[in-house]
Amino acid sequence: MATFDLKDDGVVVIIGSGAGGGTLANELAQKGIKSVVLEAGPRFDTGDMENDEWTQFQKLSWLDKRYSAGGWHGAVNHANLPAWIVKGYGGSTIHWAGVALRFKDYEFKTRSTYGGIAEANVEDWPISLEEMTPWYEKAELRMGVTGKTTGMPHLPWNNGFRVLAEGCRRTGRTDYASGPMAINSVQRDGRPPCQQIGFCMQGCAVGAKWSTMVRELPDAEYTDFCEVRTDAMALKIEHDDAGQVTGVVYADAEGDQQLQRARIVCVAGNSIESPRLLLNSASAMFPDGLANSSGQVGKNYMVHTTGGLYAAMPEPVHLFRGTSVAGIVGDDVYHDPARGFAGGFYLEFLSLGLPFMAAFLEPGNTGWGRSVSGALEKYDHMSGVWVLGEDLAQERNGVTLHESEVDQYGLPVPIVAKTPHINDVNMTNYMYETSAQIYEAVGATDIYELPAYPASHNMGTNRMHADPSKGVVNAYGQSHDIANLFVSDGSQFTSSGACNPTLTIVALAIRQAEYIAQEMGAQSI
Amino acid sequence: DYAGVNRRFFLMTTAMAGVTTSAILAGGGSAFAAALTADEAAMVLRMTQDIYPHPDLLDIEVYQAVVDGVLAGADDDEANATALRDGLAQVEEQAQALFGSSYVDIPDADAREGLLRKFQNEGFFQGIRWATYFGIYNNPDVWPKFGYQGSSVEYGGYIDRGFSDITFVPPGPSLEDRLAAVEG
Repeated sequence: MATFDLKDDGVVVIIGSGAGGGTLANELAQKGIKSVVLEAGPRFDTGDMENDEWTQFQKLSWLDKRYSAGGWHGAVNHANLPAWIVKGYGGSTIHWAGVALRFKDYEFKTRSTYGGIAEANVEDWPISLEEMTPWYEKAELRMGVTGKTTGMPHLPWNNGFRVLAEGCRRTGRTDYASGPMAINSVQRDGRPPCQQIGFCMQGCAVGAKWSTMVRELPDAEYTDFCEVRTDAMALKIEHDDAGQVTGVVYADAEGDQQLQRARIVCVAGNSIESPRLLLNSASAMFPDGLANSSGQVGKNYMVHTTGGLYAAMPEPVHLFRGTSVAGIVGDDVYHDPARGFAGGFYLEFLSLGLPFMAAFLEPGNTGWGRSVSGALEKYDHMSGVWVLGEDLAQERNGVTLHESEVDQYGLPVPIVAKTPHINDVNMTNYMYETSAQIYEAVGATDIYELPAYPASHNMGTNRMHADPSKGVVNAYGQSHDIANLFVSDGSQFTSSGACNPTLTIVALAIRQAEYIAQEMGAQSI
Repeated sequence: DYAGVNRRFFLMTTAMAGVTTSAILAGGGSAFAAALTADEAAMVLRMTQDIYPHPDLLDIEVYQAVVDGVLAGADDDEANATALRDGLAQVEEQAQALFGSSYVDIPDADAREGLLRKFQNEGFFQGIRWATYFGIYNNPDVWPKFGYQGSSVEYGGYIDRGFSDITFVPPGPSLEDRLAAVEG
């Protein structure tokens, strides 16, 4: 691994080592562009990945003080856990399940497709699926996504997905498969095939699942062009009198403040920390925070319109055996206002271990008693889905800073507000009903609806927009206000789409690296 | 520190911060329970069974182990013990007022659950609730009762251990089918 001097002002400083930051670091390194990655959490490797839900939750999760706010149930039931994301080397790619779906064409054009929606802030992306397709292909090859791009077959079907798939077949569906997944179904790229271990979201213990922890970061560090500093929490981005960023102040493992000089700064701390850092970097020149002339930093926070549904079947299923998200149903990903909502949704088979099933079946203070324990006695007969659909951006949903309370770094604690739009409510009801019908078609005896989990899909708080008055960054994730400041994570999403965000984050990061190299070569930044 | 938290909403993540299964079950024997009387300990035992009742599935020892942990926690911390005793006294008072009976002697399980619902936002109750949760559902010794097999990596995963062994729905596509599906 390279090491760079704190005073080296030729480096790109990347804040965060997950899907966006980790990918960007490696893409730049392969081009011979120097970067320093500041990762807030510790270094992890596959040896840290135990098959235990709570052990891994404690080990991996971002548990710094945060507040949930707004009208969703988590403001009460998950009051300090608005999001379920990772703090450490590899970021939330350690936790992601591996679902590697592309956005649909219309999902980049939501304003044009849906029209204006009251109390929502729906806009078009400044890029199209056509423009993104080659970058999606690069991402799929890089990550090893099962499907036509790589030629790697989808994974074998496990018990839980076979139940779901049969329900889909009996209800006339056609678009259900065990991929695309960024999990090796065969030995590929120096990583082994999936052993159907389960616990994908506790971190893959064998490295069959792609993560920046097993692939991009080690590759980047192998070159002479990338230094990853763990236990390095970014506190503030500094700028000069010309309004260009010059470096990042961070707290090191000892808690001492350091200043890493930079030619370019790329923010990839996920959709809570990225806007928080820009807001915390307010100065006399930028009193509302960096890159915030639009006023959109920290706004339009999107998760997915989501919930869980589990069905007790007449015979044992043992849903925990095998890949956590073992199959995807895509029949409902289209826009039809006649359904009572804008946008589409996926159903994804999702296994939970007994500990998490017992915790999330009915979260909050009421989740005990005979109904809960009776349901849990059917645990080994269950199959179930995570339902996820498009979440409309709203300005009121977002990240703000606590007025007085600070965290262990002395930074104002973030308040993360999320109130469902009526579109979300209607879609959620529809998704529950659809899922129940599928499972009833295959003989379900009981149906359990679970409310939204703390979000692992966090998007939109530094949105892209062609118009600098309506968005924070341009089509390359470059700040409209500050040419050498980029956003490189899911916070640049203009809309949420229905699908899991990681593939799009990776594709955007690969594309952004190309753009940065080009602009550096042209001496534009 | 799980029994005496005086917040209206005792949160799952808060529970996680200080409580692990091993800590809960580390209480050892119940021979010495200075902070609570035998009657109070019996109430806690009944409560754990009403919070997550599995009368046909779990032995009393599973619940007793949870109670031992709760009692040990009370022994170690006077504030916890006080909150727990006060909470139990409220439950008992309500039982007498509604049923003219001790809580533990109310025969109907639904009636006992209904009685406890009144206290479900209290710290002492959620402390017992989460201790019971961890003692049952996060306890590898209990998992086989629910058909959960837990960690698999040390056995090579489930690939040769029944990940696709059910017979009441059709099998998934063969490798040949899956290869054909991604061609071209």
